[in-house]
Amino acid sequence: MRSLLDHLSRSPVAARAATLAVAIAVVGGGFGLASPYFLTANNLVQILRVSVDLAVVSAGMTMLVVMGGIDVGVGGILAVSAIVIGRAYQAGLPDLLVVPIGLGAGALLGALNGTLCGRLRVPPIIATLGTMYVWLAVMFLVIGGSWITGLPGTLAPLVNGSLFGVPSALLVILGVYAACGLLLNGIPLGRHLRAIGCDEQAARLAGIPVERVKLFAYAWLGLLAGFAALLYVARLRNVEINIGTTIALEAIAATVLGGASIRGGVGGLTGTLLGVLFIKMVQNGLVLVGVSSLWERVVIGGLLLLVLAAEGVGRLPFRRPRPALGGLAR
Amino acid sequence: MTLPRDPVALRVLVLLALEAAALVAASLLSPFFLQASTLPYLLQYVPVLGLLGMGQSLVMLAGGPGIDLSAGAILSLTGLAVAALATAGAGLPAACLLGLALGAALGALNGLLVAVLAIPSLMATLATLFVYGGLALAVTGGVPVTGVPAGFGWLGQGAVAGVPNSVLFVLAPVAAALHVMRTRTALGSHIVACGNDEAAARLLGIRVVAVRLGLYTLSGALAALGSLVLLSWFLAARPDAGAGFELLAVTVAVLGGTSILGGQGGIPGTLLAVLVVTTLQVGLQLANISPAWQLGAVGTLLLLGVGLNLRLERGGGGRG
Repeated sequence: MRSLLDHLSRSPVAARAATLAVAIAVVGGGFGLASPYFLTANNLVQILRVSVDLAVVSAGMTMLVVMGGIDVGVGGILAVSAIVIGRAYQAGLPDLLVVPIGLGAGALLGALNGTLCGRLRVPPIIATLGTMYVWLAVMFLVIGGSWITGLPGTLAPLVNGSLFGVPSALLVILGVYAACGLLLNGIPLGRHLRAIGCDEQAARLAGIPVERVKLFAYAWLGLLAGFAALLYVARLRNVEINIGTTIALEAIAATVLGGASIRGGVGGLTGTLLGVLFIKMVQNGLVLVGVSSLWERVVIGGLLLLVLAAEGVGRLPFRRPRPALGGLAR
Repeated sequence: MTLPRDPVALRVLVLLALEAAALVAASLLSPFFLQASTLPYLLQYVPVLGLLGMGQSLVMLAGGPGIDLSAGAILSLTGLAVAALATAGAGLPAACLLGLALGAALGALNGLLVAVLAIPSLMATLATLFVYGGLALAVTGGVPVTGVPAGFGWLGQGAVAGVPNSVLFVLAPVAAALHVMRTRTALGSHIVACGNDEAAARLLGIRVVAVRLGLYTLSGALAALGSLVLLSWFLAARPDAGAGFELLAVTVAVLGGTSILGGQGGIPGTLLAVLVVTTLQVGLQLANISPAWQLGAVGTLLLLGVGLNLRLERGGGGRG
């Protein structure tokens, strides 16, 4: 117990994950008391299922934020990938082809962001904002204000099925987080990401191929967005016109709630996953308790604000070395 | 032909060329564009984006790096508040003043988070974008507030000699005041100093925190002013009135030559950029081309603007 507390006090990311776990238990208990439907196996599995897209995207977002980057337009990548997937299905292609096409589309769009932010040194928020506009335009022009419907649900078991009694959504999430964990903690790439997030100039001087690492990080998030699009299509069997509009903000919120610093260098996947579950649990619980879903954004934004403000107040005693470029400029 | 070395003058030239290109493109796209009635129509769209863009430019100018993503949400929320007050029978001046105060207060909260608590501006204003925009939707249930007294339409619907009142009596004076403030006063130099080198500004005795706090507050107040113009134009307040404006405001600020890192930029560039964006939008609209192209055009302009800034900044030897 003592060593656990020691560990928590030394690692802010682990401490945040622990706080979130407690928050999930407390808030979940509260919803359980308020609604008899909340703490049922069915509902909890349902929360997992609707969390899948966000969880997958948030894993990639965390790696990006650790590197000091950000992608505010990942929803656009998800939308365009979903359309590519939908059109591929409509053209009669089998899953065996549709899956790599979807993943490839996402990775390609992500790599474009990576080139803008890496080689061309455009500030990430501007680059990803700009490309998001362009992707949204592409989406509207391709599907012209209507939905793509009636897609085959052959991949639906990935989200809705179960394996030995374990919901497949959980397995998919754990698989993605294991892969990202390996990239972030198991191989030198993870150290490179953190190094760039801490001090890009120093990382460059240390011989880290900064441009290539950035290209990879953005392309990886794009690939995960393509995967999320596959899962989305598998789950809903259509492509809606408003697909992906809030996912970037939610993924950033989950990442920051999970303890990642928007200044880069710090962040963990466990915290992010708990952040995702917390957000989705709150959304689900509010509906069950009878609060209009319109309040979702207020609650999530308020939570985010609370965490940020708490951090800010914690820093207040008055030395705050502010990196000249901050999270925005890298 | 030699180009001016001064980056601001060069930017103005580039924007004038862009505007000319936009005018040509718009008149090629639609036979209706080159008519006398188009100009007032076009100008009608300028003030709201102009007000938001100027707020955004000043916030960016003071460095940090600063950005205000919540301005559009502030516009939505204050518009609803003023409309609710006006329909509830409050006097128009009182309702408008309260709206401006609310906008300033919401902006001051941003400033508090960014300047005092040192939360990165992107995150802080993203969170307040969620909260303000969400509140606007949640409080109204997504339904517009209508029934604003028609007497309120003078500002947004009236015109003098073809120039909309909102340009003549709101945008022009505010822009002139801000331009003078930026170029002719100590405060203006202080803002630029904060953006150029925060540590040096602090050593000079400039109260960096106070300057930035003030600019976020100003940005909120300008958004509220924009909401008054919109409200007076449509006599109704939509809970999502400002959605999309935050990104447009960033676009015009950047396209207008404001450095995303601070220290460079000005009001004339921003206003010209507003004109370029509005010309394109109105042109595409008149040509009855899908609004999707507008989105795409704005995104391209944004990337173009940043690319241009980076080139000019590196070429001019301003910053590395």
